[in-house]
Amino acid sequence: MSFPFNLRGLASRLLNLSRPIQTTTAPSASRCLSTTSPLLNTPKGGKKPQSGGAASGKKRGKGKNAVVQDPKIVNLLQSLSTLSPRRIPPPLRMARNRHLRHWTIHRGWLMFRRKQRDERERTFMKQYQSMSAACEELRLTRGPGARPEGYLYRVAMEKKGVYGHHGVPIEYARAQTDTPAKVAWNHDWKR
Amino acid sequence: MSRPQQVARPIVRSLQQSRSITVCPSRSIAARQFSTTANRKDEGTTVEQQPRASATQRLSDTLSGSHWTPEQLEKLTSHTMGSRRRRAAIATSSDIPFEQMPYQCFQEARKILNEDRQEKIAQIVAETEKIKHLEAADASTMRGGEPYKQKRLESLRKYVEELKILADINDPLVKRRFEDGMGDMNKPIYRYLADRKWRSMDYKITVQRINQFHIVPDVLPKFDPTMDVKLSFRGQPIAPGATLNSRVTEVAPTLKMQVFDAGTRLLSVVVLDADVPDLESDFFTRRCHYLATNIPWDPTKKQLPLRQIGTPTSQTGGDLAVPWLPPFAQKGSPYHRLAVFVLEHNANEKIDVTKLTERYDGSGRELFSLKGLRDKFKLKVAGFSIFRTEWDENTAAVMERHGILGADVEFKQQHFKSLKGPRKARGWEAKRQKPKYRSLWKYTKRLA
Repeated sequence: MSFPFNLRGLASRLLNLSRPIQTTTAPSASRCLSTTSPLLNTPKGGKKPQSGGAASGKKRGKGKNAVVQDPKIVNLLQSLSTLSPRRIPPPLRMARNRHLRHWTIHRGWLMFRRKQRDERERTFMKQYQSMSAACEELRLTRGPGARPEGYLYRVAMEKKGVYGHHGVPIEYARAQTDTPAKVAWNHDWKR
Repeated sequence: MSRPQQVARPIVRSLQQSRSITVCPSRSIAARQFSTTANRKDEGTTVEQQPRASATQRLSDTLSGSHWTPEQLEKLTSHTMGSRRRRAAIATSSDIPFEQMPYQCFQEARKILNEDRQEKIAQIVAETEKIKHLEAADASTMRGGEPYKQKRLESLRKYVEELKILADINDPLVKRRFEDGMGDMNKPIYRYLADRKWRSMDYKITVQRINQFHIVPDVLPKFDPTMDVKLSFRGQPIAPGATLNSRVTEVAPTLKMQVFDAGTRLLSVVVLDADVPDLESDFFTRRCHYLATNIPWDPTKKQLPLRQIGTPTSQTGGDLAVPWLPPFAQKGSPYHRLAVFVLEHNANEKIDVTKLTERYDGSGRELFSLKGLRDKFKLKVAGFSIFRTEWDENTAAVMERHGILGADVEFKQQHFKSLKGPRKARGWEAKRQKPKYRSLWKYTKRLA
């Protein structure tokens, strides 16, 4: 039931890996997840920098802007965010009997769905075959009145209204061209 | 928010009800629909004669693994521990069999699975009828003749085997029994589960060892294992491909073997060294270290102690053709691959041991060819395991004890002198040795 290895927390572990990068960019900041950008940690009196520019990174939430500047890392974390504990539910932890009951219910559910699916497919198959038999019967029937054999079948096969009111199949929307040719390559061609 | 008493009350009530059901053994058996074989608790004919399992025993059945000490189990089952709800549940639900547990969804699921099982059983009966009918029929009346009949029979039998597996695969008790290692290997479902488990990891590791140690094509042109073989020396299980100390490998190993198809068959076991250095041809040859044959084997058997084969007290049967020669590697030679092969006899025919002995014992050990053995006696290579050996501190003693010569031989890499002349000295100092750099001589001459 459990995953071969745990994906949960992979993103957070990778976040920890990116810590040295943070410290190199901001050597004064000892906190790994500082709530303010390192530029704001300059002593008082200095003028507050204007929004940090591209270097300060994107602000996320209130008061929590992770200082991850490298676009590669940003990209990596974004793509790994699907693996974060928030997205992946924890593995089911159960005692043995409970797990066996869970397993039984799961197998029962699969069996139920399979039965349903088979039943539906069987019905479809029956319907299709009876339609096919009816069409065959039509094809061999001599028309109403003086109509020839197969007239009813041809009428039944008309696709009026199938593609919408006065519609045509979308394949006919293509401009009719000489190419591609019906014969792809004329091997007998000689100059 | 509801108080715990309110929450626990319906559960306790239902547990009490089901307990009152289980008091009557005949009804409990009637209520048991889905289990294929007897329940663990009422393995015998009646429930009453069985002594009631203690609470600790019951809980240890439900908790997987054997990592619980008796004290821990005692603590887990004590009536004074845990919540009111838990205590009430433990006190009142003493003997509910697993498949009668009063969980609605669980019971509904069992009902669906049971229906499916009944369908499968009906199918098995129908197919068996078909087989009987076909067996009785005359092949000359069929369009394909005898080959068609045989092929049809074969496919029908295969289908019946499949159905047998499908009938039991959804049973939680079968799953539990298999996980506990209590499964009866004579039944197709347990063999199927064991095969699936083996193929999920151990088989892959074995195939990887075959490839990375180049057993294919060094020993055999091609080979796919079909049975599980595990090695253990002196009771210690060995990972396939491990490098072992020569003292450990002095006595023959025990094989833990599992076959996954029904029936009794005869096996042969070969241990060979695939890396015996051959100085004349500057190459490697093979040597047979052990050969036993005519070992009867079926899926229920597990262990094969190789050193007991051929002794009068042997439990497993079988004949010893070539006794165990401890693997050794002389100093300086690269590691030796000791491959253990298990071969299946063709149509359960016995092999004449004296023939094998005179062919492969003594000097016949050298230049051993597994492919030759296989082709000569029409064997099928089924199982494989491997370990390695190197020169170590015990090898000389082991070789002396078993009268193997050559412990004093040391292999060395042959060095060839270069045909080119010696190269001039190069570097900053070498360049500044001339009198032109007299001023730098204090740095370039008589250094250190």
